[in-house]
Amino acid sequence: MVVLQTVLNGLLTGGLYALIGIGMALVFGVMRIVNFAHGALIMVGMYAAYFAFTLLGLSPYLGWILSALLLFALGWLLYRGLIRPVMGQSDFMQILLTTGVWLALVDLAQLLFGADYRQINLGIANAVVRLGPLRVSSGYLLSFFAAAVVIGLVYAFLYRTELGRDVRAVAQNREVAPLMGIDVERVSAVAFALGAACAGAGGALLLPLFYLYPTVGDPLLLRSFVMVVLGGMGSVEGAALGGLVLGVAESLTGYFWTDSYSQVVDFLLFLAILLVRPSGLLGRQRA
Amino acid sequence: MLRRARLMGLFLVAAALLAASCGGQSGPKPSSSSSNPPSSSSSSASGSSNSSSASGGTVTLGVITSITGSQAAFGQAHQRGYEIALEEINAKGGVLGKKIVLDYCDDTSKPDQAVQCVSKLVDQDHVPLVLGSYSSESTYAIVSVMTQKQVPLIIPTATADNVMQSGSPWIFRICAGSGDYARTMVDFLKHNGDPKTMAIIYENTNFGQSNDKSMRQAAAAAGIQVIDEEAYNAGSPDYKAMLQKVKAKHPDAIYFASYLLDAVTLMHQARQVDLNAKYFTAAGTGFSAAEFPTPDKGAGKDAEYTFSVNQWLPDASWPGSKEFDQKFFQKYGSHPAYHAMEAYAALYAAVAGIEKAGSLDPAKIQEALHQIDIQTAFGPVHFGASGQNPHPVLISQVQKGQYMTVWPADAASAKPIYPTPPWSQR
Repeated sequence: MVVLQTVLNGLLTGGLYALIGIGMALVFGVMRIVNFAHGALIMVGMYAAYFAFTLLGLSPYLGWILSALLLFALGWLLYRGLIRPVMGQSDFMQILLTTGVWLALVDLAQLLFGADYRQINLGIANAVVRLGPLRVSSGYLLSFFAAAVVIGLVYAFLYRTELGRDVRAVAQNREVAPLMGIDVERVSAVAFALGAACAGAGGALLLPLFYLYPTVGDPLLLRSFVMVVLGGMGSVEGAALGGLVLGVAESLTGYFWTDSYSQVVDFLLFLAILLVRPSGLLGRQRA
Repeated sequence: MLRRARLMGLFLVAAALLAASCGGQSGPKPSSSSSNPPSSSSSSASGSSNSSSASGGTVTLGVITSITGSQAAFGQAHQRGYEIALEEINAKGGVLGKKIVLDYCDDTSKPDQAVQCVSKLVDQDHVPLVLGSYSSESTYAIVSVMTQKQVPLIIPTATADNVMQSGSPWIFRICAGSGDYARTMVDFLKHNGDPKTMAIIYENTNFGQSNDKSMRQAAAAAGIQVIDEEAYNAGSPDYKAMLQKVKAKHPDAIYFASYLLDAVTLMHQARQVDLNAKYFTAAGTGFSAAEFPTPDKGAGKDAEYTFSVNQWLPDASWPGSKEFDQKFFQKYGSHPAYHAMEAYAALYAAVAGIEKAGSLDPAKIQEALHQIDIQTAFGPVHFGASGQNPHPVLISQVQKGQYMTVWPADAASAKPIYPTPPWSQR
């Protein structure tokens, strides 16, 4: 029963990881860009939700929409202004560029908001929900469902809309897609902005559960890498699954071993997958 | 096009690195001290008074604390304590006939920054004495640097016992350490219900590790069985799996060593996983912060019944305690916790040392500090040969949102409430 409870807690955290992971996978899948700024974008989303809460009184369970829209716009601008010029260049250039964006955003946050830890105390997020013999924190439950909604929306976009199909086409083959009349530039911008929006929404939904400080995104960036690899590089479904697996793995580590080793297990998992099954859990091999 | 992109990438990285380097450290202050040629701080030559920090009729003392970062709440408490002491001392004429100026350096709650602060305060600003830092982690990092630079350091709040282990004559500590914490808590438990088993939950830093070690030894000596020790890393605060594990072992008592944000999260999550112990006890710090029992910045009702080691409470009988509390409340609108008091008393100790030395020579101040024996609102302060002030500690309990002293019995203002009622009956 306790193990079941631990797995459930892990799944709830995993749902949030999944949202963050698919954002990373979208960018990686479509543009083959390893987005080192992803964690910083999560941080920006958290600050946006934080100020929406403290200044406007907007609960993060609504504020995530604001964060997602803001980050979509930011992602779009980042792509147009900075990423596009280095597209098609060596991977090194892209890593350097996204790392630059990461450091610039974190230091900007440090400059504007200081290194203070902030925490919002949301009554609705501190209650307990009983599911039979199991007990669930309401905050995690709410964030999980909101994340599931966002993931559902992203999924519906990818598989039910014209533009979503274009995104998948570009992810499948960037060279052939333009021959089919697809505007690769526009699709790339959309994919990058959408990836940023997922980070923003994920950040906002983490806010009631986490502390907020300028480098809060850094451990989440590392987790995003693990999720993308777990899911098979660039696979959106895979990254979502990777998020759930990661959440459960961390939770079980905390229970069976010790909490301070949960990140160790993350990276053991990461190395093991790269060694044994580099195509990821779902096994979709990419060229 | 290509070149532009490359330039842009490099520019961004360069800009970020630049921002990182100037964001991290507070730059040198354009003060009168910078105009003086930097003299070696290790002034073994007797009689050479430190002219730079005494220039313009003021004495500048260095303060390192955590003004920003994860421990900012405690850094703020420090600042407030120092400010009240500063006003009082300067109103009475300062030290050696000169007004005191405090030169603050923010360690951003990080040990590497604390070390940089020492360089700034000692090498650039030439202060004859430093007070700080807040956390045991940061303080441990500066102990050896201060010893090398041969400038006395007065530690207000760091409880990890290894900050005093070096035996350096330049290090003085005003507060009690983790060994005293554990012994007092065990003593309290033995006389109040005598629990048989205990779990220790601690932050995996110098402060947590030191308190874990001390409690493990003290509990073993008293026949309390430690059945679980859980270390956590602050930052990703999902402690439910860890608390589940503790719950499955059914300890009678839990001893926490946590800073404020984690103390709040741990108590919320203990309720969420329905972890019931007869005693929730803690090594002070987060569990004794002024914010902890409040609803908006603390754990609110979830803080109720928690026991904590405490170094000082406003109802302490030492002369000056109540006045400090009143002054603090008038100025800041809230009651102080012991962290502010320790900073307040540390500045008084520093002044006593300088007065006794009759000079601003760090070596003379160091010698004098070993000899002072003063009465403060924090109780008697005398560092002796070891540098450790023998400060008695109390046990407090949160009762109806207030810290009440429950141990030792002769200082108690309320009876301890135990066993802690289960969450379902609160």
